[in-house]
Amino acid sequence: MNEFNVLVVDDEDDFREVTTKRLTKRGLKVWDAESGVKALEILEGTRIDVVLLDVKMPGMDGIETLRHIRNLKPLIEVVLLTGHASVDSGIEGMKLGAFDYLMKPIELEPLLEKLADAYEKKRLREQKIEMAQMKKHMSMPS
Amino acid sequence: MERMRKYYLAIIRRLLITFFCLSVVPIFGFAWIMKGTVEETNIIKLEKLAITTVDHNAQLISAFLREKQELLQLLVSLYEEGAFFDQKQVEKMFLAIGGKSDIVDLLVVDADGDQQSYVGPYRTLVAGKNYFDAAWFRETMLSGIHVSHMFSGYRNVPHFVVAVTDPLKSFVLRATINSSIFNSLLHSAQLGPKSDVFIVNRAGEFQTPSLLQRTELNETEMLLLSFDRRNETLITSSEVYATRWLINDHWLLILKADIGDSLDFYLQIRNRVILIVALIIALSLAGAIYTSIALARRLEKADKEHAANSLQYAHVEKMATIGRLAAGIAHEINNPLQMITSQAGWIAELLPDEDPAQVKNYDEYRKSVEQIRHHVKRAGTITHRLLGFSRKISTENDRVQINDLVGETLSFVQKEAENNNITIIKSYTADLPPTLTDGPQVQQVLLNLLNNALDAVGPRGVVDIRTSLCVGDRLCIEIGDNGPGIRPEDLKRIFDPFFTTKETDKGTGLGLYISYNIVKKLGGTITVENKQGGGALFTVRLPVVTLGRQG
Repeated sequence: MNEFNVLVVDDEDDFREVTTKRLTKRGLKVWDAESGVKALEILEGTRIDVVLLDVKMPGMDGIETLRHIRNLKPLIEVVLLTGHASVDSGIEGMKLGAFDYLMKPIELEPLLEKLADAYEKKRLREQKIEMAQMKKHMSMPS
Repeated sequence: MERMRKYYLAIIRRLLITFFCLSVVPIFGFAWIMKGTVEETNIIKLEKLAITTVDHNAQLISAFLREKQELLQLLVSLYEEGAFFDQKQVEKMFLAIGGKSDIVDLLVVDADGDQQSYVGPYRTLVAGKNYFDAAWFRETMLSGIHVSHMFSGYRNVPHFVVAVTDPLKSFVLRATINSSIFNSLLHSAQLGPKSDVFIVNRAGEFQTPSLLQRTELNETEMLLLSFDRRNETLITSSEVYATRWLINDHWLLILKADIGDSLDFYLQIRNRVILIVALIIALSLAGAIYTSIALARRLEKADKEHAANSLQYAHVEKMATIGRLAAGIAHEINNPLQMITSQAGWIAELLPDEDPAQVKNYDEYRKSVEQIRHHVKRAGTITHRLLGFSRKISTENDRVQINDLVGETLSFVQKEAENNNITIIKSYTADLPPTLTDGPQVQQVLLNLLNNALDAVGPRGVVDIRTSLCVGDRLCIEIGDNGPGIRPEDLKRIFDPFFTTKETDKGTGLGLYISYNIVKKLGGTITVENKQGGGALFTVRLPVVTLGRQG
């Protein structure tokens, strides 16, 4: 399992706590935020690979937060987590560029898998960008 | 129900009353007025006719009497006095005027009342008689002329006499006149079979026989006599009287016309009118009854349809509300479920770190955690299924051949059916039009229904599936079974969420609820009924949708 950085955003303290503990135990570096605003602050100063984002939160909700994340760090992958399975929030989240969305209750294994997939996607993307940049550098006689 | 029946009866009654007031009453009123007018007009006409007739006859009779008087006076002035006392001369005179058959005899009486000469059929009867005391003789001697009342005299034949005297009053010449000429004259003046014409004197005695063979005047006619010598008309309820005084108010000519007689023709017309009016009234009554009942029926039908629609609408509303409620509950439950499964998972992850020897019930904990996770998963399945139909993101519609879709779905359950020796009878209608719909969702519904059917029939049962094009150009998929059917009280609730007749572990009670919502979303309907031969029959109706057209 690759080690990567995850930010768990959920207004429920218990959930954040146990998820952080379990993901950490699986070898991930985990940050947590209880609100969208806090999450954006953390993202500002930390290198995060994947965000696990609860859709329904008081204040700035998941969709709103997602929008900001896409603006701020377009390369970060976001996995939405929701208790609500409305078509609208799902579709909207995907349209806004979320990697996928998961429905509560979810076991750790599939969650971990999804996060890993998301990280893999991000990694590949970054690799491509790197390659492209390398090509650019090589084609450009400096 | 009774109340509704009364309500519709009241509507019928009210409509009938309205129709009655608007049609029958005016017709009836019009007919009534017409009838009165016709009768009045008739009476006025009859009165005019009576007056004309009575005038005409009065003139004729007066002329006749005047002629006789003048004739006698002419004789008196033509001949010398001596000639009237001479039987031979008088006979000559009689012959001279004898052409007039209405003069029966001539009698000459001298100033003393002794009979001097006579020509006529009763010679022997009048011979040597003295008339000095006779009323007619006295009056003739006084006023020079006399017209008597009718009397039978010695001859027993109705007649009257006209007598004149010479200027010197030395004799009286009297002529007896056959009154039967009046009878025929008056006969012709009769206006109808119940009408009468006759002459009476001032004492009310009949001078000519009543045409109706009456011998006495009635009260009305007596009243006419008492009119002070005026020519009067009198209208009673059944008769019209017209009167004329004759020869110096000596006689009264009375014409009595029966209104009934003259009304005959009008009565015919009136009866015809009454018949027509009755027919029209009957027709309009029949029409009114028919229309009222038809209207009430129509109203009742519309009300029933409305009630049915309301019921259906209420049902749809109920399902929608339940849907929202269920989704809300599911959502709220998912969060605690997440917590439970996360915590249980955490325990499960930490347990391997423990030394089984140190922890007395290590295996029990592990098992318990597994149980917790298993049941959370079960609960999660329920909430996910509850939300499942609305979670479906892809609403892309494909061209779907229902027969192919049914065949494909059947392949999923073929194995299970074979294992239980269940026979599946397929009857497809060929050449069904393809429709644009969400194939996988329809398949989900069919699969659900088929699974239910298989569960219902049990081993060695029969399930039949039929496709057809049914009413309103809709695609019909019928899935029937020969199982126990559905209890009537359950039919209403069968599509409700969490309604199940299966054992607790086997069914969540969501299958039909989700199927119902899927089919509804696709613009179709799903209904259930019990077949007559036993077993349930589910019918899914889907619209035929082609590109750019909603079927």
